[in-house]
Amino acid sequence: MGGERFFPDEMPVPSASAETAGWWEACLDHRLVVQRCLACGTTRHPPGPVCPACRSEAAEWAELPGAGTVYTFTVVRQAFLPALADTVPYVVAAIEPDGGGGARLVSNVVGCDPEDVTIGMPVEVVWEDISPELALPRFRPCADGGAVP
Amino acid sequence: MSAPWRRRAVVAGVATSDYPHLPDFSEHAVHAQAAQRALDDAGLTWADVDGLATTGFFPMYATGVAEYLGLHPTYYDETNAGGASFEVLVEHAAYAIEAGVAEVVLVTYGSVQLSQMGRRLGTGGGGGAAAMAPGPAIYDALWGNTLVGNYALAARRHMHEYGTTPEQLASVAVTMRQHAAHNPMAQYRDPVTVEEVLSSRLVADPLHKLDCCVISDGGAACVVTSAERAADLPSAPVYVLGGAHATSHHLNLSAASDLTVSPAAQSGPLAFERAGVTPDDVDVAQLYDSFTITVVLTVEDLGFCAKGEGGPFVEKGGLALGGKLPTNTDGGGLSACHPGMRGMFLVVEAVRQLRGQAGATQVADARVAVAHGTGGMLSTGATLVLGREAP
Repeated sequence: MGGERFFPDEMPVPSASAETAGWWEACLDHRLVVQRCLACGTTRHPPGPVCPACRSEAAEWAELPGAGTVYTFTVVRQAFLPALADTVPYVVAAIEPDGGGGARLVSNVVGCDPEDVTIGMPVEVVWEDISPELALPRFRPCADGGAVP
Repeated sequence: MSAPWRRRAVVAGVATSDYPHLPDFSEHAVHAQAAQRALDDAGLTWADVDGLATTGFFPMYATGVAEYLGLHPTYYDETNAGGASFEVLVEHAAYAIEAGVAEVVLVTYGSVQLSQMGRRLGTGGGGGAAAMAPGPAIYDALWGNTLVGNYALAARRHMHEYGTTPEQLASVAVTMRQHAAHNPMAQYRDPVTVEEVLSSRLVADPLHKLDCCVISDGGAACVVTSAERAADLPSAPVYVLGGAHATSHHLNLSAASDLTVSPAAQSGPLAFERAGVTPDDVDVAQLYDSFTITVVLTVEDLGFCAKGEGGPFVEKGGLALGGKLPTNTDGGGLSACHPGMRGMFLVVEAVRQLRGQAGATQVADARVAVAHGTGGMLSTGATLVLGREAP
């Protein structure tokens, strides 16, 4: 706890289910994971009870390196929650995490001017500790400009 | 596919309720007004109705409407596909008529969204109740995504892949407003320019306020029966030539495989095949216009132009009167009326066009019309092909 904050405390909080708890628990450990089918290897997000490709119930939480690219994004300029009145404009993006097998996460791009965000931009995860029970992955432009190590 | 013995389903009556401001109406009262007018238009009475199709935001919705209207239908349907619902309900009603399990199906819609919920709805789709949902919707809402934001994600990707411009998107809103100028009931009728759309407030880039549909009160209804039954009725019947529907994902647009393709890419070709027509045969279209990008995706996915050519298609007047595909001749959801699930209005206007009753925006000699609804976060699509002549 104690890291940088990007969104106010009044944001909604998730209620985990049996099939999503593993994802939220990984977030609390600052590990970016995606659900991967043990039968056919297809990844999926959000987490679900069966593989949408082969319907197998067997799945694992595949840990990802935490980098990715912006697939698409929008700059939300009109707050829908009163608590967000001071947060707009903020960037909502669909992120394609590296190693994610094509699964996408909706998240935010933070730590830069919204006007500088582009499709294809390399980003890396930054964790926001919301409470002792919740941490959320957001993304910021790669510090090294996206060079592959 | 047409056997000589086959019962054919037709739309025998259509109507809208008053709109767009109904502060003194309940939702059920909007249903009642639209339904009464549609029955009057059909030359039928409540006693003739043995089927009811409608949907809303509560389970057993059709049952509630049936009670309010004093109906005891032996066919009912409340399939909810969001904005695509009413194309699905009319398609289903046509099957029921053709199967001989219903004689007169009343399809009715009513909403007092504007009066009850105010003007914040359009940016609240990702928050509110969805934010509290334990299901997958939280995977968008938690990061502050909104209903407009979801469509903006699709618009941005389409711009990236195909070079679609904000000016092209804006041209959809401009054309809809041109049509609304001829509709005395339309919520907004004053002309707008591309520049005015682009200078209206950005809600979620690249979508401006005027790229978004209006929020209205209102309802609409139609009566589906058999061609045999319609033969004695006053209005020229409009044939349900074919219909189809599809879904790509639920509420998480990020779970859609391609944000530049809507379910119309599946429902459209199926509906045209079932109807025995091609996009080239279509004289007039009523396309769900929740946002300007919705229309661009739909004209591509239904095959009125190639994938990626939707921007130039709309910019060159493809949707305008006299254009390749005159669309939303009542002014659409962008200007005339959008009470939340607009699909019934699409059918009403399509039928009026095919009857030659569309007034100043009548498309000359319209023989084949398409009504296409889009629901959720580009999640559902339903295409209806209607015709003036028996197939």
